[in-house]
Amino acid sequence: MQKLITQVSTQLACCCYIRTEAESRSASFKYLRCESGTCIILGHWLLSSQQEQSHQDSAVTRKKDTMLSVLVAKRLVSGVCPKSLRPAVAELVTTRGYKGEAPDDSRGDIIEIPLPPWTEKDGETMDIKRRRLLFQSRKRGMLENCILLSLFAKQYLNTMNEPQLRQYDRLINEPSNDWDIYYWATEAQPVPDVYAGEIMDLLKEFTKNKDQEQRLDAPNLEYLDKGSQ
Amino acid sequence: MSQSIPAVSQSSRKLHFSVYGKNNSKVSDGMSTQYPVVDHEFDAVVVGAGGAGLRAAFGLSEAGFNTACVTKLFPTRSHTVAAQGGINAALGNMEGDDWRWHFYDTVKGSDWLGDQDAIHYMTEQAPHAVVELENFGMPFSRTEDGKIYQRAFGGQSLKFGKGGQAHRCCCVADRTGHSLLHTLYGRSLRYDTSYFVEYFALDLLMEDGECKGVIALCMEDGSIHRFRSKNTVIATGGYGRTYFSCTSAHTSTGDGNAMVTRAGLPCQDLEFVQFHPTGIYGAGCLITEGCRGEGGILINSEGERFMERYAPNAKDLASRDVVSRSITIEIREGRGCGPEKDHAYLQLHHLPPQQLATRLPGISETAMIFAGVDVTKEPIPVLPTVHYNMGGIPTNYRGQVITHTTEEGDKVVPGLFACGEAACASVHGANRLGANSLLDLVVFGRACAHTIADICTPGEKLSPLKPNAGEESVANLDKLRFADGNMRTSEIRVNMQKTMQNHAAVFRTGKVLKEGCDKMDAVYQTLDDIKTFDRGIVWNTDLVETLELQNLMLNAVQTINSAEQRQESRGAHSREDFKDRMDELDYAKPLAGQVRKPIEEHWRKHTLSTVDPKTGKVTLKYRPVIDNSLDAEDCAAIPPAIRSY
Repeated sequence: MQKLITQVSTQLACCCYIRTEAESRSASFKYLRCESGTCIILGHWLLSSQQEQSHQDSAVTRKKDTMLSVLVAKRLVSGVCPKSLRPAVAELVTTRGYKGEAPDDSRGDIIEIPLPPWTEKDGETMDIKRRRLLFQSRKRGMLENCILLSLFAKQYLNTMNEPQLRQYDRLINEPSNDWDIYYWATEAQPVPDVYAGEIMDLLKEFTKNKDQEQRLDAPNLEYLDKGSQ
Repeated sequence: MSQSIPAVSQSSRKLHFSVYGKNNSKVSDGMSTQYPVVDHEFDAVVVGAGGAGLRAAFGLSEAGFNTACVTKLFPTRSHTVAAQGGINAALGNMEGDDWRWHFYDTVKGSDWLGDQDAIHYMTEQAPHAVVELENFGMPFSRTEDGKIYQRAFGGQSLKFGKGGQAHRCCCVADRTGHSLLHTLYGRSLRYDTSYFVEYFALDLLMEDGECKGVIALCMEDGSIHRFRSKNTVIATGGYGRTYFSCTSAHTSTGDGNAMVTRAGLPCQDLEFVQFHPTGIYGAGCLITEGCRGEGGILINSEGERFMERYAPNAKDLASRDVVSRSITIEIREGRGCGPEKDHAYLQLHHLPPQQLATRLPGISETAMIFAGVDVTKEPIPVLPTVHYNMGGIPTNYRGQVITHTTEEGDKVVPGLFACGEAACASVHGANRLGANSLLDLVVFGRACAHTIADICTPGEKLSPLKPNAGEESVANLDKLRFADGNMRTSEIRVNMQKTMQNHAAVFRTGKVLKEGCDKMDAVYQTLDDIKTFDRGIVWNTDLVETLELQNLMLNAVQTINSAEQRQESRGAHSREDFKDRMDELDYAKPLAGQVRKPIEEHWRKHTLSTVDPKTGKVTLKYRPVIDNSLDAEDCAAIPPAIRSY
C-alpha cells in the first residue's frame, strides 16, 4: 500500500470523497470520514490522480483503478487518528431496532452539516412563551409527537414555571430529528445529558400512560377557552 | 415609505390595511384591528420547507436567485421527517438494473393514470438525484464495498415485471426523511436562502392570471407579509387531516391546494387517496406490516380470523388494498369491534413476548401509548388509515402549474410552480408505490429550480402589484379572529372528518358517496357560523387551526365530489358499484377490432376540480392522460394493460 495521507484538513464541516470510475453509468462515492471530525483524503494512490476542488470545503481525487474497500480504509484511518481528537458528540449509535435491513447509521450529516445552533428567544414574557410553546407542541413532524406533545402540553404547560418552560423550549426545539424526542420519551434510547432534567422525566412518566387512557388524538384547543369555563 | 389605504368596510368591523416599508413590523398583541403589512421582494419564493420545498429553495439559491422560503414549521420538523422508507433509484448496486424497468413499474403502479412524460423524467433522473444528494453529504447506508445499499420494496421489479424483485430503495438507516431535510437545509443556508419560519401562508397574490407572490401571517408578532416574486413554488404537502383517521401529522392540511383553489385554479385527481390497512384506531399511527409478517392476525368482533375468507392463501399478508377492503367489509356487515363496532383488532398476544420485544420493538410502546393496550394481553384496535394523497396541484413534467381547456389543451400559469405531495405531475396516478414519494420530492423540487433558472435571470425587475393586493386574505383572517357564531372550530372539523371517513373511505358506492356530498356541503355551510375564542394576534394557535380548517374543507369537498363522479375502480379509488376500470379500449380482451371510446365515455382521464369558496360548489372537468414518454426512442411508452401482480 502506498503512502496513505497526503493532506489533512482541519475544517470541522467538511466531506471528502474518493470518486471511482469503475462504474460507467454512475459514479459511486465513498466517504472517508475520520471519527474525530477532521478529514483525511486518501490521495495519490495511483499514477494519474488529479485533485479537483468541487465544493468550497472538499477535494475530489480521481482514481482510475479498483476501489479501496471501505473497511480497509476505515481501519487505516482510525489507526492514524488519535482517539483524543474525537469530539464529545452525543450518542451516535442507535439501540432501537431498525424497521428494515440496512446496515448501521453513521449519522454523518449531523456531524458535517452543522445547522445554526438553537438559541433561546430573548425578551419574551412567560405568557407569550407559553403561547409559542403551545403552537410548537401541537405542530410536529410526525403524528406520534403531535399527539404526545399536545396532550403533554394540555396537562402541564400552563402550570410550568420559568425554568421549566425554558427546559421544555429547549427539548422540543433544539433536536433536529423529531423521532429522537419520541425515542427518548418512550425510553427506546438514552436521553443525552443536555436534555435530561425535570421536564424530560415528566414527559417520560406521562408517556408511560400508567392510567391506560385511550389517546385517540391531539386534544381540541377549547380547554384553553376561559370564557367557556 | 408608507401609504395608507382608506378603511375598507368589508365587515361591520372597520378594517384598516396599511402598507409599510421593510423595517417596520412590530405590532403589539392588543385588540388592534390595524394590520401593518411588510413588503418583501425576491427572485423566487418557496412555500413549504419539506423535502420538495428545501430542494427547490436550495436549487434556486445555488443558481444565484435571491430566494425566500416561507414555512409554518421549522424545516427539520416538516412531515418529511416521518419518512422512514427510502428513495427509489435504478443505480444497479445490488444487481443489474435499468431505469426503464423502474419506469415500467411506476406506470403500472399508477394504473395507467400517471403521465408517462413525468414518470420518464422522474425515473431517468433518479440515479442522478441520489448521487447528487450523496454529494451534498447525505450519508446513505452502504454495502461492504462502499456502494449505496439498496433494498427491496413493494411493486419494484426487474425486466418489466418478468425478472423478479428489484432492490432499488436507497436509505439512510431508518431516518431517510430526517437526513434529507437536514442535508438540504444545511446546504441551502450556505447559499443565503432566506427562511421565514413560522409564517403561515394565507393566499397567492394573483393578477391577470399570473402569480405575483404570496401573502403570509407572521405568527411571532402578528404582522402580515407580502412576498413579491416572479416565481412562486408551492410545496406544502398533502391533506390527510380531512379524514378522522390518518397517519399524517396535524400539519398536513392542504394549505397549498386551498390557496390554488381560492385563486380560481383547478386541483387534479383529489379522489385518489391511499389507505394503509393498519393504523391505530383513532390516533392513526401506523402499525407496520411487519407485525402481520411476524404472525399477527386480524380478527373481528366474533374473534374470527376473517382474512382466511378473503384471501385463503395470503391471508393476513395479502396486498394492502385487499386487506383494507376486507376490514371495511367486516365493519360494514356488523362484525366491527369496540362499542361503536367501527374497527378491527390486530392480535399479537398469541406470539411469544420475546419475539415481540426483539422483532417488533416499537409496537408495544406505540400500542400502550396511543391505545392504552398491553399487546401481550389484548389486541390492538386498527382501521384502514389515510396515508398519502396522489392528487394535488396539476403541473407539467417541468414543475409548472397548468390549467386546461378543451380547445387549447394544457396552458401554463405564469409565475406558479408546484412540487412534492402538493403537486400532481402526475407520477403516481391512481396509486403510489412505496419509496417513490421521497424520489418525487427531490426530482421535482430540482425540476422547479431548473425551470426557473431556464426562464428567468436573478435580479429581474418585478412587475407592479396593486397596492391593496391580498386585502381579502387579511379581511378573512380578521373575520376568523373575531368569529362569534355557534359552532366551534373543533366541532366543524370533527364533522368534516367523520363525514369523509364514513362516506369516502376505502370502499365507495354511489349512494353512500352522494349522501356524503350532501352532508359535506352542509358542513361547509356551517363555516359561516364558526366560533373562535382566542382574540390575540401573537402565536394564536386557534386562529391558525381555523385557517387550516378552511383549507381542509376546500380539499374535502373536492375529494368527495370527484369520487362520487368517477364511476369506475382504478388504483386507490375503489367502487363497489363499478368494480372495473373503464378505459378507452377493453384491455382485458384482444384489441383488434375494438373501437376507441371518446374521452367523454371512458375514465382514463384526470379529474380537474374547482370550487366557489363562497358557496362550496364544486365544478368538475376532465383532462387526458399524457401517454407518450419524453423520448420514444430512448424509452418506449407503456401501453395500458390489465394490472395484476
